[in-house]
Amino acid sequence: MSFKIIVFIKQVPDTDDIRWTEQNTIQREGLESVINPYDIGAIQLAKKIRLLLEDCKITAVTMGPLQAKAALKEAIAMGCDNGYLLCDKKFAGSDTLATAYVLSQFIKTEANDFDLILSGYQAVDGDTAQTPSSLAQKLNIAQITSVKELIEINKEYSLWQKETPEVTQNIKIYHPALISVNINNAEILPDINGYIKAQTTDITVLSAADIEADITKTGFAGSPTQVKKAFRPEITRATERLSFENNGQISDYIIKLINKCKEQDEV
Amino acid sequence: MKFNTLVYIETNNNTIEKVSKEIIAHARQCFKDNEICGVVVTDEITTILEQFKNAGLDKLFVIQNPLLKKFNVSAYCDVLSQLINDIKPSVFLMGATANGRELAPRIASKLEIGLTADCTDLQLDENSNLLATRPTYGGKMMATIISKTTPNFATVRQGAFKHKQFDVNNTEVCFYTPEMSCLNLFLSQLEVLKTEIKEPKEDWTESEIIVAGGLGLKSKENFGLIYKFSDLIGAKPAASRAAVELGWASHDIQVGQTGKSVAPKLYIALGISGALQHISGINNAQKIVAINTDNNAPIMNIADFAIQSDAVDVLNNLINKLSN
Ligand SMILES: Cc1cc2nc3c(=O)[nH]c(=O)nc-3n(C[C@H](O)[C@H](O)[C@H](O)COP(=O)(O)OP(=O)(O)OC[C@H]3O[C@@H](n4cnc5c(N)ncnc54)[C@H](O)[C@@H]3O)c2cc1C
Repeated sequence: MSFKIIVFIKQVPDTDDIRWTEQNTIQREGLESVINPYDIGAIQLAKKIRLLLEDCKITAVTMGPLQAKAALKEAIAMGCDNGYLLCDKKFAGSDTLATAYVLSQFIKTEANDFDLILSGYQAVDGDTAQTPSSLAQKLNIAQITSVKELIEINKEYSLWQKETPEVTQNIKIYHPALISVNINNAEILPDINGYIKAQTTDITVLSAADIEADITKTGFAGSPTQVKKAFRPEITRATERLSFENNGQISDYIIKLINKCKEQDEV
Repeated sequence: MKFNTLVYIETNNNTIEKVSKEIIAHARQCFKDNEICGVVVTDEITTILEQFKNAGLDKLFVIQNPLLKKFNVSAYCDVLSQLINDIKPSVFLMGATANGRELAPRIASKLEIGLTADCTDLQLDENSNLLATRPTYGGKMMATIISKTTPNFATVRQGAFKHKQFDVNNTEVCFYTPEMSCLNLFLSQLEVLKTEIKEPKEDWTESEIIVAGGLGLKSKENFGLIYKFSDLIGAKPAASRAAVELGWASHDIQVGQTGKSVAPKLYIALGISGALQHISGINNAQKIVAINTDNNAPIMNIADFAIQSDAVDVLNNLINKLSN
């Protein structure tokens, strides 16, 4: 039996290229889209596994609009074996919970015999690293978050190095499992064979009905969290503009503030 | 109707995480008419009970089991979800720590409730619904998020609120014993073979005075004056992202949305323009002094004291004065 890896990827705006509108929203027209950099880290580790295990297959999956096919083609050019696009109007506006639900329905209907799910630790377009954990719970599987390196793998279990600001850990996990990969500087340059494969491989597009998704749990309507208002932070300090004759006076003033700060509770 | 707020209290080596105390203090002060409850998962409560004195909790739920000594996300998710189903809090909060970021989405997913992550402000509306505010659009805007599901669930960024001790000390301690038949399964799925705890760095964000430098200092050499001056006055140095990106300072001391949030008594900003992403990290400072050559820089309208001058000259003058 082959070893099956699912890599979840996300198409994000190229952050090196972000422009802002007058209203402080992201200007989406003309914006380049790329694969979320952390997801490329996940593809890189998946390819490493394929080198170590015989008969291993890497499937790239994303939820998004039809344009997201391009990201899947790119993932295949980078070395994934095939790609699925979860695309339905009823998915639009999904929050984390609804997104994790859609991804879990894909797994349950199309890939229930998977061994590992790999995903990026977070998406650079402002998502908050919640989706992988949420998905792992929906599938009732164990997870390791913020993995930097694969140490060892066989079909039954694998060993990973996890790193957070506080600790570095070596963790053994039994399959099936979910690994979120915290590598944001991976670079995979597709070769000519990769490009040919991407061109000749069809992306399977699946709708809500195809993955038997309950549409009351997807999209905007199925998302429990909603933005009530968006605003510019208000600054409520009464600014005092101070003028001085020279830098010596400025220094004296600042030193006075510092001393006040050390002696009293209020400055 | 009586509302209650439940706070998950994270411990690390038998010490309560700072962010947990900050959340309790904020809830105690701002969530009127709410009973403020905490829950702690531990192998042994007696060693940490002392730390709950004066923390401001009405009630503390203790889930105690030797098998829960180490954090295991599936197991912690399971026992906490059971408690939530039993006591039905209206609001559930936890810190956006490394563990919190892993645990919170799992609990939300299990209970099928909404979750607002990494909040910088929390308020209740007149019906005790949670208004959870967080940065959005790369920090250019703030968004206030509501949830249709109960409990209203949010994780909170460390430093968003100020920790406070309360005079009252009448926390009721309740032991909660969840059903644990799945525990062994969860623990057998995953095994931590080795843990290296990184050298805990001194927490500079707690300093009463912080001296921060930005691009207006013009060079790495000039930025060195920030270290020198803060050293002389017993303050801690900090930097804007632009200064960090140029390699003048390490990312550890970056202030702002993608850095640290600070709440010193005095924040001295030298050569910093005051972009919203920077300001969002210093909103809770008691007093802000800005020194900038450009009177129209945003920070000059935000600071308590705005001084138009060359930051490098002022730093040199200060260092001279203080060294004599
Ligand atoms: C998603 C995102 C997240 C971000 N997160 C952060 C963050 O966490 N923290 C952060 O700081 N930024 C953050 N930024 C960047 C932020 O938008 C600004 O670019 C950055 O704060 C600018 O740094 P600065 O004030 O040092 O530089 P500038 O904006 O270039 O300002 C330099 C200032 O120095 C003044 N000046 C020039 N010469 C002198 C002199 N001789 N003496 C005194 N003043 C002088 C100038 O008038 C100017 O006001 C983020 C941006 C994005 C998009």
